[in-house]
Amino acid sequence: MPNLLTRRKFFESAAVLAGAVAWPNWMPRLAFAPKHSAPRGDTLIVVFLRGAADCLNVVVPHGDEAYYAKRPTLGIPRPDDNKAKANLRAVDLDGFFGFHPNLKPLVPAWQAGHLAIVHACGAPDESRSHFRAMELMERGVDDERGPASGWIGRHLATLDMAHPGQNQSPLRAIGLGQLPQRSLGGSVPVSALRSIADFHLGGDLKALAQMRAALTSLYSGNDPLSIVGQETLDIMDAVQALDPLGYTPKITNTQYPITEFGLGLKQIAMLIKAEVGLEVAAIDLGGWDTHFAQGGSEGLMAGLLKELGDGLAAFHEDTADAKHADRLTIVTMSEFGRRVQENGSLGTDHGHGSLMMVMGGHVVGNKVHGQWPGLADGQLVGPGDLAVTTDYRDVLAEVCFKRLNNSAVDQIFPGYKATVRGLLK
Amino acid sequence: MTLSRRDFLRLAGLVAASAANAAASACAPVYNKLGSDFQSPANISSVGFPELSRLTFGPRGEERARVAEIGLNAWIEEQFAPDSIDDASAFWRLRRFRTLGMDANEIYEVGNKLFDDLDKTPAVNELRQATLIRQLYSRRQLYEVMVEFWSDHFNISVDKGNCWFLKTVDDRDAIRPRALGKFRDLLWASAHSPAMLVYLDNQVNVASHPNENYAREIMELHTLGVGGGYTQRDVMELARCFTGWTVKEHWWLGDFRFDPDIHDNGMKEVLGLTIQPGGQIEAEGVVEVLAAHPSTARFVATKLARRFIADDPPKEIVEKAAATFTETDGDIKAVLRVILFDGLAYAQAKFKRPVNFITSSLRMLNAQTDAGNTILDYLARMGQLPFAWPTPDGYPDRAAPWSGNLMPRWQFAMALARNEIEGTHVNLAELAKADSPSRLIDQLSSLLLGGALPESKRDELATALQEAGATDDDLPPVVAAGLTASPAFQWR
Repeated sequence: MPNLLTRRKFFESAAVLAGAVAWPNWMPRLAFAPKHSAPRGDTLIVVFLRGAADCLNVVVPHGDEAYYAKRPTLGIPRPDDNKAKANLRAVDLDGFFGFHPNLKPLVPAWQAGHLAIVHACGAPDESRSHFRAMELMERGVDDERGPASGWIGRHLATLDMAHPGQNQSPLRAIGLGQLPQRSLGGSVPVSALRSIADFHLGGDLKALAQMRAALTSLYSGNDPLSIVGQETLDIMDAVQALDPLGYTPKITNTQYPITEFGLGLKQIAMLIKAEVGLEVAAIDLGGWDTHFAQGGSEGLMAGLLKELGDGLAAFHEDTADAKHADRLTIVTMSEFGRRVQENGSLGTDHGHGSLMMVMGGHVVGNKVHGQWPGLADGQLVGPGDLAVTTDYRDVLAEVCFKRLNNSAVDQIFPGYKATVRGLLK
Repeated sequence: MTLSRRDFLRLAGLVAASAANAAASACAPVYNKLGSDFQSPANISSVGFPELSRLTFGPRGEERARVAEIGLNAWIEEQFAPDSIDDASAFWRLRRFRTLGMDANEIYEVGNKLFDDLDKTPAVNELRQATLIRQLYSRRQLYEVMVEFWSDHFNISVDKGNCWFLKTVDDRDAIRPRALGKFRDLLWASAHSPAMLVYLDNQVNVASHPNENYAREIMELHTLGVGGGYTQRDVMELARCFTGWTVKEHWWLGDFRFDPDIHDNGMKEVLGLTIQPGGQIEAEGVVEVLAAHPSTARFVATKLARRFIADDPPKEIVEKAAATFTETDGDIKAVLRVILFDGLAYAQAKFKRPVNFITSSLRMLNAQTDAGNTILDYLARMGQLPFAWPTPDGYPDRAAPWSGNLMPRWQFAMALARNEIEGTHVNLAELAKADSPSRLIDQLSSLLLGGALPESKRDELATALQEAGATDDDLPPVVAAGLTASPAFQWR
C-alpha cells in the first residue's frame, strides 16, 4: 500500500506527537487567515428583542387614527399634541411615524441616513407562541420542517464553501450570553461569551502567569495547531490590552447603559476595533413580553426602550469613524408584535406584525420602509393584529447579499424566495 | 494592565453561574469506593496507548494494564462482548437519572409544568449527563464509542419539536441495543423511531403533501451516501412509501404509528424496484434493500474507518471492510475487526472532538465528576453539547471544524487541574508523587500523553514555569493543566 505508514512508523510518529516538538507531514493541514484577519464584508450585529416587542410603541404610527382609538391609555402622544408634555410625545420621523420619546438618542443616526426602519415586518408564522416564533425565526424557516441549523450558521457555512478557510479566528462568530443563540447554530464553531471575560484563562494572577508560560512553551512549534495556539494567545493579549475597566469611548451624546446589554454592545465595539476577526455577533435584550403594566411614554417598556436606544446610539457614535462605520450592519428584530387593542391590564397581548431596524453606513436610511397595512378593523389580521407586509427574510437576505458578500440566500433561507426591498446600498 | 477574571466579571456586572448539584455530593462516598481501580502512572505501560485512545474515551490505567497483559486484539474481543464486562461503576452512577427508563409520555410529563411553558431541560440534561457518565465510567468502552458513533450517524437534535423527550427513547431502544449488532437492525429500528420521524419531518409526510426530508436523508446520510446511486425521483418515490409513518399524539404520546388514512396507496418505483401497494411494508421493503446495498456497505465502512483510522482513511481498508459488510449481512463487529485488526496499523492522528477532549482529561486524571451543568456548559462553548447538532449529518468527524476553538479547552484544563469545576474533583497529589519538577512532568505526561516528553521539551517547560514563579505547590496543577491544554493532548 503506497503512501501509508507502517505500524512501526506510527509508533515513531506517536512518540513525536507526544513531544509536540514537530508534526509529522501527514498531520491534517489547516488553512489560516492572516493574523487578526479582517472579516469579509461587513461585521454583522444582530440584536434580538426577546419577548415580542410592541412595535407600535417603538416606532409609533401617529398618523393612523385607529392607533389612538385602540390605545386609549398606552398610546404615545402625537409629536404636536400640546396636551402632553413635550418630552413624552413621539419624535416625528416623516409626518406619519415617530420614535418613542426614549428613542430620541437615535435621531442623529436617523438624520445621518444611517438608520432604516421596516415596519409591519415579520414572519408568516401565526402561532403567537414565543418559543415557536423565536425558534423558527432564528432557524430562518417557515415551520417545524426544514433544517434545524440557524440562518447565521448557514450564512457562515455557505460563505466558507465559496471562500474556504478565510477567517479562522476563534472570535469569528460570537453569541453574547450563556449559550450561543439558535441563529448561530450550524457547521461553523461559535463562541458563547457572557462577556469578553470569557476570552481569558481564569485563575488568579499568579496562576494565570504560570499557565501563560506553560502554553507559550508547549505551543512554540510551527505545526498548524501550534500556530492556532499562538494566534489564540495573541488575541487573548489583544483582548486583555483593551483595558475594559478603563475603556471610555470618545462619545459625547449618549453613553452605553450600565446593563448586560449595554456592556455587551460596548464589548462588541471593542472587539471590532481590536480587529480580532469578529464577523458576526448576536446579542439579546429581553423583557418585552408586556402583558401587564406596559406603560406608555414612561413605565416598564419605556425603560427597555431607553436601554435599547441608548445602547444603539452609543454604539453608532462609538463606531462612527470612517474606518468602522463603513463596515458595520446592525439588525434589530423581535419574534412578533403585539395586539393593537390594549388589554384590560394596561398591557398588550401577543400579536403578529413587528418591525426591524437596520443601522449601518450603507442603509437607505432616514426612511420607514415597507407598506403600511393600517390599524383599522378591516385591516387587521387574526384577533386584531398588525399584518405583515414585509417578510423578515427579505431584510436579512438583502443584508447577506449586499453587505456580507453572500449570494447563497436560497441556502440561508431554504424554500423561501426573497424579494429585494431596496433597504441597502 | 493585567486584569483578573474577577475584574472582568465585575465589569460585566455578571456573576458566574452556580450549578450546585446536591445529588452528586450525596453520592460521593459511593464514587470513592468505585474509584479504586486506578493505577498510578509509575506502574502503567505505554503499550497500546495510541490504539486505546481510539477505542476508548481516554485510556485509563486499568485498560492500559489489561492490553499489556493480554494484547490489543484479545482486549478488543473482550470489549465486543459488553454484557460479559462487569459495569457496576457506571451502573450505580446512573441510578439517579429517573427519565432513562421512562416511556415517552412519562418523560413528557416530567417537563409538563401545567400552566407554564414546558421545561425541556431536565429530561434532556439527564440524557446528556447519563451519556457522559457512561463514556467516563463504563468499562464497556468500545461499546460506548460505538454508541457515540451511531448517535452521530443517526443524528437527532433534541431542539427539534418533540425530540426533547423522544431522543431518550431512541437512545435506549433503537441505538444502544444494536450498537454492536447488525446494521440492518439498527437502520430498521431508527426508521421506526419516533424521534427520527419527528426530527426529519416524516410525521408531516402525507399522501396529499409528501415531505421528502426523511426519504432523502435515509439514503444520503444513513445508507447509500451522496452519489450512492439514487436519484431525485427515488427520493420522491420513497417519500410516498413513507407517507403515514407517524407518531402518536395524546394517548400513547410518542409511540410509532402507521396511519393508513394518510398513506399514498399508489404504485411506486424506488431504485428500479416496483413496489406494489401494501401500506407499512412498502417502506420496510426499501429499508431492507438499502441495508443490503453495496453503496451502503462502502458508505458505512468509510465512516467507521474515518472514526478509527484517519480523516481520509486508506481505500484498501475501506474496500475490505465494505466487502466484509456485504459478506456478513452488515455485522458491525465483523466490519470492525477488519478496520481495527488490519487498519489500526495505518492510523493517523485524529483531532479530539470536544467530548473526547473532556472525557479523556477526566478519565486520565481519574476525576470524580457528576458530569453536571458546568461540564455541559463547557461542552456547549466548545461546540459539542451532546444531541444538539442541528443538521442530520451528525457532529463533524474531521479536524478542521474543531481546531480553531482552543480557548475553552485551555480554560477547562486550567479549571479542572485547579479543582474549580463544580461537581468535579481531581486529586493530583495521588496521581503524581514526584521529588523534582522533571519527575513530575514525566509522570503526568506519561499519564496524559502516553509517554514522557522529550528531555529538551521537558526542561524547557520546567524552566519556563520556574521563571514564571511556580513553587513546588504550584507545579502539579499548572503542569496538569498545561499538558491537558497542550497540542499533543488535542490529538489522539
